[in-house]
Amino acid sequence: MDTSFAGRRRRDLVVAFCLAAIAAVVPLFVKDVYVQNIMVLTLMYGALSQSWNILSGYCGQISLGHALYFGIGAYTTALLFTKFGVLPWFGMLGGGIISAIIAMALGYPCFRLRGHYFVIATIVIAEIGLLLFHNWDWAGAALGIDIPVRGDSWLKFQFTRSKLPYFYFALALACVAWFVTWWLEDSKWGYWWRAVKDNPDAAESLGVVVFNSKMGAAAVSAFLVAVGGSFYAQFVSYIDPESVMGFQFSLLMALPAVLGGIGTLWGPLLGAIILIPLTELTRSFIGGSGRGVDLIVYGGLIIAISLARPQGLVGLFSPKRKEVAR
Amino acid sequence: MTTPLLETRGVWQRFGGLIANSDVSISVGRGEIVGLIGPNGAGKSTLFNLIAGVLPPTQGSIIFDGEDVTALPAAERCQRGIGRTFQVVKSFETMTVIDNVIVGALVRTTVMRDARRKAHEVLEFCGLGRRANVLASDLVPSEKRRLEVARALATEPKLLLLDEVLTGLTPVEAKTGVELVRKVRDTGVTVLMVEHVMEIVMPLVDRAIVLDLGKVLVEGKPADVVRDPKVITAYLGDRHAVGA
Repeated sequence: MDTSFAGRRRRDLVVAFCLAAIAAVVPLFVKDVYVQNIMVLTLMYGALSQSWNILSGYCGQISLGHALYFGIGAYTTALLFTKFGVLPWFGMLGGGIISAIIAMALGYPCFRLRGHYFVIATIVIAEIGLLLFHNWDWAGAALGIDIPVRGDSWLKFQFTRSKLPYFYFALALACVAWFVTWWLEDSKWGYWWRAVKDNPDAAESLGVVVFNSKMGAAAVSAFLVAVGGSFYAQFVSYIDPESVMGFQFSLLMALPAVLGGIGTLWGPLLGAIILIPLTELTRSFIGGSGRGVDLIVYGGLIIAISLARPQGLVGLFSPKRKEVAR
Repeated sequence: MTTPLLETRGVWQRFGGLIANSDVSISVGRGEIVGLIGPNGAGKSTLFNLIAGVLPPTQGSIIFDGEDVTALPAAERCQRGIGRTFQVVKSFETMTVIDNVIVGALVRTTVMRDARRKAHEVLEFCGLGRRANVLASDLVPSEKRRLEVARALATEPKLLLLDEVLTGLTPVEAKTGVELVRKVRDTGVTVLMVEHVMEIVMPLVDRAIVLDLGKVLVEGKPADVVRDPKVITAYLGDRHAVGA
């Protein structure tokens, strides 16, 4: 087996391609709409978590406010479509760009904060965003926006008869997020981000412009999350502030990566594949009144992971690394 | 005569009421190994941080390679050719040794293959070639020191600032360290090193600058410096000054 660095990178790419190909044929055999729905959500959260991982995993700037970018993506698409008839594809792009700009504008003051203070700032800012949308009449305020159905088409990105198109888009999104991470991992940015995470002072002494590195990570991360938000708006076709900008989205982006392996290439997808079906199933088995049980499941998993395998589940798949006795 | 590579002109650094550096003017010529010595609290590390750009001096200016770099941040100074190590090692612990060095190499190139090749060369040069794929957190202390040097060398510095890289090593490790510093100088890099273990640095350096209480006390050839009564007083106190 080729164990060189280039060999490992190529192998990752081949594995990803095979997995995507397998995933693409699964819904041809699994016709159950409920299961298909879970698969769409799993892929979407996988993609979101992969994007979150760029800023928080690789660059080490833990954000618990990414729901803001998710919501901005969803709202941009929905508003442009309902108010101006702009196709969701442009809304997706627009939402991504707006989110990237907002991420940098917020990063400008916040990236001076370190550790817990940064995390708290991200939570607070996302909550402010939520409150603003709650009170913004033009954007539907607390009632939200109902996206009118204008027939099934890829152009308008609406599908009422089948979930398959959404599935394939979510799969494509997950592939893009994975590929962007794969590509950035072995680039100047990837190395700079990890250096910034491990030791910003040492990074600075080696020519890394720490502030710009964080800004770059924030922009890429926010852009991809907003595209996910745009997709979600089309997928559920009704949005309100809580359902696209609530704190639970911030958590749902962070948890798969934490579970699977924060700052790793495969961690977020692996985490999403375990966590999201588990959540959906608990929710349906316990029923609507069980709201909160899924959170207990998260909590339990996170505690188990942080005790038994703080580096994430992804480590289980690399037997090459020997455990160093201490 | 050519201009010195590094010059500090009347540099002051105050931390509130504490004066860490007062009116320090030193110069380091191209290709020299200069030792910056002095007792604890003399202001060596502060002067280092000022030269590396970690903080701006309260007053005075720093001239590097003919240009005033006083206002430039650390990353920019690295790009201009000032490399440094840290007294308390600051490895990127979750990254492998080779990846640590690649971070440094990326200042000079953005082509990953070149950066990787450069990093391998530097690791061989520093005697860490066989440890390339080990996590930095798994290195022993002396290896971590060498990794600090390797990382800085990968940025292709004109001036290398070594902050106590030889302190706390076993005699054998220190000897390899001394050889490494000589080898670095032989590649054309100027070295300014902080140390306070006199017997290690004195045979190594071309010139020594002694700091005491934030001021330059003496500078000159190592052999002269160690005999200077002022230096002996600074290190050992007044009683020993006369009997030397």
